[in-house]
Amino acid sequence: MDNGLLLNDAVLIGLNFTVSLLYIIATGLYGADFFNGNSFAKTYKQPALIVTIVAHIAYIGFLTAPEGYRLSYSISMLMSMVALTLTVIYMFIEFSTKTDKTGFFILSFATGAEILSSLMLFTSSGEGPAFSGLGIGIHLLAAIFGFSAIAIAGLYSFLYLLLFRQIKNNKFGFLFENLPNLEVLEQLIKHAVAFGFLFLSITLLAGVIGSIQTDEIINLFDSRLIALVVIWLFYGASLFIKKLFGWDTIHMAYLLIALFVLTTTLIMLMSIFSPTFHNIDF
Amino acid sequence: MNIISVGVNHKTAPIEIRERLSLSEVQAKEFLTNLIDDGIAQEAMVVSTCNRTELYVVPGMPEVDGNYMKEFLISYKDAQGEVRPEHFFNRFYCNTARHLFEVSSAVDSLILGEGQILGQVKNAYRIAVEVQSAGILLTRLCHTAFSVAKRVKTKTKIMEGAVSVSYAAVELAQKIFSNLSIKKILLIGAGETGELAAKHMFQKNARNIVITNRTLSKAEALAEELGTNQVLPYESYKDHLHEFDIIITAVSSKEYVLTEPELQQSMQKRRLKPVIILDLGLPRNVDPEIGNLKNMFLKDIDALKHIIDKNLEMRKCELPKVKKIIDEELVGFAQWINTLKVRPTIVDLQSKFLEIKEKELERFRYKVSDAELKRMERLTDRILKKILHHPIKMLKAPVDTADTIPSRVNLVRNIFDLEEQNRLSK
Repeated sequence: MDNGLLLNDAVLIGLNFTVSLLYIIATGLYGADFFNGNSFAKTYKQPALIVTIVAHIAYIGFLTAPEGYRLSYSISMLMSMVALTLTVIYMFIEFSTKTDKTGFFILSFATGAEILSSLMLFTSSGEGPAFSGLGIGIHLLAAIFGFSAIAIAGLYSFLYLLLFRQIKNNKFGFLFENLPNLEVLEQLIKHAVAFGFLFLSITLLAGVIGSIQTDEIINLFDSRLIALVVIWLFYGASLFIKKLFGWDTIHMAYLLIALFVLTTTLIMLMSIFSPTFHNIDF
Repeated sequence: MNIISVGVNHKTAPIEIRERLSLSEVQAKEFLTNLIDDGIAQEAMVVSTCNRTELYVVPGMPEVDGNYMKEFLISYKDAQGEVRPEHFFNRFYCNTARHLFEVSSAVDSLILGEGQILGQVKNAYRIAVEVQSAGILLTRLCHTAFSVAKRVKTKTKIMEGAVSVSYAAVELAQKIFSNLSIKKILLIGAGETGELAAKHMFQKNARNIVITNRTLSKAEALAEELGTNQVLPYESYKDHLHEFDIIITAVSSKEYVLTEPELQQSMQKRRLKPVIILDLGLPRNVDPEIGNLKNMFLKDIDALKHIIDKNLEMRKCELPKVKKIIDEELVGFAQWINTLKVRPTIVDLQSKFLEIKEKELERFRYKVSDAELKRMERLTDRILKKILHHPIKMLKAPVDTADTIPSRVNLVRNIFDLEEQNRLSK
């Protein structure tokens, strides 16, 4: 048996375990701060988040190094990328809005995704195609970032509705005490939507450029392309819907939750019925 | 050295008794001066607020105890017959310290965690310092109490959350709007409740506060006091409702001052942007149906009471943490008091060795040069310091019980023959 291969596997398992552990630690710290106001957690949660992101990027680098740092189309890899992008987008939102009270909710999803990815690393076939070409690479990465932003916007919308109902019904409990106020949650939603729209736009653009580079004929009836364009249109509309049609944040929140559910359902359906990438044979 | 505390507070006596024994600053100064001048107390301090009049005394005579001090205060206030000893609490030594720590950290207050009491205790200490009735023991006790209060404030949530209706209103507004400084606020009614709410809003950076009142001059006076100088005539404020993000009503009126059609119209004008109406009036000033409008948060006193109850409950949950801090500080304070008991022995020990050093050096005074004598002096100082280090450290070391102190003291006194030292020095 090849000793080099064994060593690589050992390092891979070690890194995989470490990254999952770091996610659990970071989520735990955010949770301890949110639920108990723990001062240690408050101080170290942000450094833990940064360390987790750095370690995860290093892990992805190690994982994709044999394929020339190209992402493979395996479920394990996609789940891991979803975890990473959720965390990265959350970090940007936290830094840009200076609101760090919602981290637990976002990172719980990211941790779940990363743990699932770890479990699938050796059980799934993992032999999905690795893409060549910068355009397709960016297309895939942006799509994952876009999905994460959609998930975050959906989650913030849910928190907004929860807090709104609690205040309306005079339920001044734990969430009332600890969640950011309604205006801040609205800001967080706007940031997530803006990130989402940006990444979905990049996904479309990079997809077109990638197709031109590889001389591939764009199939306008490709279900993934149609789904992406529909979601992109909805997202774009949701950026201006408030101003144009006088929608209030409550309706926006319902729309964003619906979009998240729709996107997730479409991805799952397409994964089941069309397991290859845009029907391209690699 | 003992320290006693006696007094009346909201737990031991009704308000009329507390009022009867209350001391103004002038009276407190006179009272403390009497205690010191008459030799009744070596040290003394009075904490007198609307909820308590408490004496902290280091007795100056053996007969001075809690009962003596109760009678002394009753007699000073000429309240015999009205105030009885049963109205008082009475504590000694460490329990006195614990009590002051609890008072300073507001866990003994009528409203748990209220923010005024620490300032009042600091004021009581200032008065004691001014009349020179605060000695080493009270100074240490008070400074430890201030430190306890600071730790309690920073390490626990005992002082967090609103516990008054007007402050709860502000807390609620902050849970909807992130920045009150850019929100437009309308205050309907410039009475006491409205004024308090407006001041709390102002403290949270709200600057765009417009006031309307039946009597315009009253609205103008409050606006001037707040520095906003924005008033609306009572007859026309309803034309401007759509401009406001927060509306506070606190008027005495049998009829609703805001009705559903008025607010519905206003919401349409402001394109459903959220509005919070805080109805602080009793009977209510705002039609409850308004609460059903879209993006309208209508909160009356009952709703705000929910916030107050929740905050008080949260403060109660913090009590074990506060108790832990107080216990820790109490141990430190008790250990410090114990060191007071060993201080005479340490002084005797140092004097004895100093005397030996001087006697021995004297023998060489004319046998060596001045420079050599100085070197010898420095050398003996260093040796003495090292010899005495351990016995002094042992004497000062924390003890589990106060009973250990006499045995340690006796041991050191016997070993170094300090009784002999005492006789000689006398």
